[in-house]
Amino acid sequence: MSLVILDAFGEENLIEKALENLLQKTGKEFFYFKLKNMKILACRSCGACEIKSPGKCVFHDDMPEIMRAIAPGSLILMLTPVRFGGYSSQLKKVLDKLMILVLPLYTVKDGHLLHSPRYGKKSLLVIGLTGQNLPGEEENFRLLAARNALNMQFTHKTLLFTSADPMEKIEREIDKALCEVKP
Amino acid sequence: MMNKKKRLLLLNGSPRKAKTSYVFARTMKELAEKKGHKAEIIHIIEYFDEEKHFEALKQVILPQDILGLVTPLYVDTLPYPVIWFLERIACDLTGELKGKEFFAVAQCGFPDTDLLHPLLESCGYFAKALEMKWLGGLGYGGGALIDGTPLEKLGRKGKKITSAFAFALDDIVEGKSISPRVQDQLTVKIPKILYRALAAFLNYRKKREAYSHGVSVADLTRKTYLENKV
Ligand SMILES: Cc1cc2nc3c(=O)[nH]c(=O)nc-3n(C[C@H](O)[C@H](O)[C@H](O)COP(=O)(O)O)c2cc1C
Repeated sequence: MSLVILDAFGEENLIEKALENLLQKTGKEFFYFKLKNMKILACRSCGACEIKSPGKCVFHDDMPEIMRAIAPGSLILMLTPVRFGGYSSQLKKVLDKLMILVLPLYTVKDGHLLHSPRYGKKSLLVIGLTGQNLPGEEENFRLLAARNALNMQFTHKTLLFTSADPMEKIEREIDKALCEVKP
Repeated sequence: MMNKKKRLLLLNGSPRKAKTSYVFARTMKELAEKKGHKAEIIHIIEYFDEEKHFEALKQVILPQDILGLVTPLYVDTLPYPVIWFLERIACDLTGELKGKEFFAVAQCGFPDTDLLHPLLESCGYFAKALEMKWLGGLGYGGGALIDGTPLEKLGRKGKKITSAFAFALDDIVEGKSISPRVQDQLTVKIPKILYRALAAFLNYRKKREAYSHGVSVADLTRKTYLENKV
């Protein structure tokens, strides 16, 4: 199982540290992308990745690096601070461009109209760090992650931590989630 | 009671400056002006692209009474440039928007307004975090089919959307939460049983479009990033 980590944090934090420890211990194969250091252009909704250039954005940025890791991989791990009950812009810059993981064709599954996946089954693990968030933001964050998984037809899990959580707890929960979430 | 004339700023969240979000914003602007209010539209993408200076935005925003975000749904929530914009506002204008009113209108490709729920909730959290008064959100499923066609050219569908916006504005300019009946009026109810037929129709259209560009179904479904060349 190869793991692709999309890290949208600006500064180093406990979640990154816990993940680093865990990956060292388990020796799992992984690709780590620190998004703040990557040049990812905003999706312009030009539609070129649907027909003109199927599955590939026509604007030149660092997305191919991420896509080469994600396409054959099976698990995408997204790390983000919780912003307005959703993702930070650093994470969203990549997520908008991940629509190429699905085809421009439609299918119906369990009563939902969906796009068919381009690269088969995958899983999504979304980890959010809450700070001074309002009541309800966590619930919305979980709903958003579940919607993303449905949209891409992935299995998924969501974890939320606060900066007051002890490192061992974060490590333990991420480890458990990594074992549980399977395509 | 005669209501006060308000100033309304509509923020277009789509990177496509003349498509469905803009068409919705334009109709809202016209409706507000007909009622004697002042309304203007700005495009978030112009600030994102630094065609316009974010610093100058303060002068545009501060005199307004009401801010309304009109935006497409991208991967179940707000598009990246819109989140960037809201983050910047939250960072640079903390405390300065207190007491203003905020609402959102979101639209998406699939004909299902439920999909817009997380996006609209996020707009509510943004408003509350900045101590603005959240007037609520409206969702329209099927905006991709409109694809920038002016509402006045859409016949009954366009009239229905326009009238829903007019009702919403009645509440908005009075600083009231948008009445739930507006959402009822905007919701296109497609029975789920028709989804298979809709999927078949959309696939037929997409394949035909592909053929007209010399692209086969095999090309359309390429696993591009598993090929050696990329
Ligand atoms: C990157 C991207 C992601 C999208 N994600 C969704 C989605 O998750 N669900 C949906 O129903 N429509 C989705 N859409 C479709 C747009 O919401 C829809 O086409 C909308 O009408 C575009 O608005 P505009 O004409 O104002 O640009 C997406 C479009 C793009 C470009």
